[in-house]
Amino acid sequence: MAGINGTGPRTAEAGALQVENLSKVFKTRTGAIRAVQGVSFRVAPGEVLAFLGPNGAGKTTTIKMTAGLVRPDAGDVRVGGVSLYARHDAVTAQLGAVLEGSRNLYWRLTVRENLEYWGAMRRMPIRAARRRADELLELVGLADRARNTVQTLSRGMQQKVALCQALMHRPHVLLLDEPTLGLDFESGEGIKRVVRQLAQEGTAVLLTTHQLDVAQELSDRVAMIRGGRLVLEGATADVLTRYSQPVLTVVAATPWPTDVAARLMGLPAVVTGTDTLTVDLTDDQGSTLYRVLERLNPHPLVKIERHQADLAQVFQEVMGEAAGQIGEAASVALPAVPAREGAVTS
Amino acid sequence: MIGLLVAEWRRTLVEAVRYPLDTLSAMVTLFMLFVGLFYGARYITQSPVGGGRLDTVVLGYAVWMLMMAATSDMGWQIQNEAQNGTLEQVMLVPWSSRLVFLVRGVMAIAGFLVPCVVIIVALLAVTHAHFVWTPVALVPMVLVLATAWGLGLLVASLGLLIKRVGQMMQIIQFLLLFLIIAPIAVLAGIGWHVVAMLVPLTAQVTLLRDLLNGVAVNHWVWLEALVNFAVTMAAGLALFGGADRLARRRGILGHY
Repeated sequence: MAGINGTGPRTAEAGALQVENLSKVFKTRTGAIRAVQGVSFRVAPGEVLAFLGPNGAGKTTTIKMTAGLVRPDAGDVRVGGVSLYARHDAVTAQLGAVLEGSRNLYWRLTVRENLEYWGAMRRMPIRAARRRADELLELVGLADRARNTVQTLSRGMQQKVALCQALMHRPHVLLLDEPTLGLDFESGEGIKRVVRQLAQEGTAVLLTTHQLDVAQELSDRVAMIRGGRLVLEGATADVLTRYSQPVLTVVAATPWPTDVAARLMGLPAVVTGTDTLTVDLTDDQGSTLYRVLERLNPHPLVKIERHQADLAQVFQEVMGEAAGQIGEAASVALPAVPAREGAVTS
Repeated sequence: MIGLLVAEWRRTLVEAVRYPLDTLSAMVTLFMLFVGLFYGARYITQSPVGGGRLDTVVLGYAVWMLMMAATSDMGWQIQNEAQNGTLEQVMLVPWSSRLVFLVRGVMAIAGFLVPCVVIIVALLAVTHAHFVWTPVALVPMVLVLATAWGLGLLVASLGLLIKRVGQMMQIIQFLLLFLIIAPIAVLAGIGWHVVAMLVPLTAQVTLLRDLLNGVAVNHWVWLEALVNFAVTMAAGLALFGGADRLARRRGILGHY
């Protein structure tokens, strides 16, 4: 089988999405809103970039500029090195999108009719579109629903069909705006499985979501935006490590003896529960844990684990820092600050 | 290009066949509107409608129906797609949006032809009128429709920017009625010829009426019809392209 979306690995240049210095100001009756300010990032083939931010941060505007649905005031979007704004049709032929809050499909048409329609609209020959529709429906487990109208499907099924329509023409770049929002566990897992497989096959995926667990699970890289500015960008694993605290949690098999606090006197350890304590390794020279364990000996222990931040904690911390730096009002004119790799801009 | 035509034709056909009540209610409305006007006018004036030329009244109504459909369909589609959330996907396809909506306009008329013929036959039966269709009338009929598609692009341009075309169509349908009956194309003088070249559809409708009535057609009317078609279509294409760019600049493509 050729896979979901390709026939082999793509070169780094051919399938890469490059967003360069995008800026957008929306003029309203009450003034100008700087929706996006100098946002740049790159998504390599086979990579999932989670693009995160609070409501109104500029995520959807960025993803729509990336799709060509909103024209930026400055900046460029390139797929395989070709500018979207110079060669719109050629580049959109390489893009697939599932847009948030958008139904993406014709509810009065059947699943198969929708897929064949969108395939033909993306310049696929009718027969090829028919074969591709069957292949995708088989993949997402909706082959038996091909003849149902979209309006009769559940929300999860509709979202799977929307994903299929975005994949009909085997795009190099897939834009997903809140793809798992409002889906039950099973449907969400189905979408995640397809996204993972697409990335493995070389598709560059730009994912925006408020579900940070989904972002953490799927992404290779993460970018965070607030007030229209990129405030963090880096490999997801590096970001999580960077934001993890140098703290160990020690868990006992039975409640601590009453004199445990006295035994730990002088060490950077704090009893946090009847059977748990934390050890601060901030100034550790390599021996702190051994010294703590010596004092606890022979009390039975079951677990020692290092603190590992999750994306929700990173998000909270980064957004808190960014709010302090750039203020809440996105409409205030501020000089652009480039995002630092794996760290909050300062 | 063939793929685009086939895809749009299939979508139009499937929706019409799967939801026949929509088509049927439109047919009944158009039929009842004419019958109401016909019998209402006859009752009020106590004299035959059309001064003995009932066939031209039915023909005028049929042309008005087709013109209305050709002019309004693209705008309605944009409004509905924006409301339903599919407009942005349509604007993402690697075809010019002008071409996509023009093809949709053509397919909408192709899909409306059968219902339109049924309405005309029903009207002829009710009014006891008759007219003979001459093949030569096909050219002005196509010109009428093509010009109406140009006008439709103008309406669709506004639809892209403001989305709600309903109120606009209320005004446009009466404007179209005026354009059908306004005798601008037969007025003499270079000034009137220029006006006929610029005011949409009057020359095309005059041409169609004269050909169907076996009247010798003035060459000026042909010229006016052709120039007017070119002007209206060029204006429609240019304005739609401009509206598309403006909507993308303002970020309002998906708004409703």
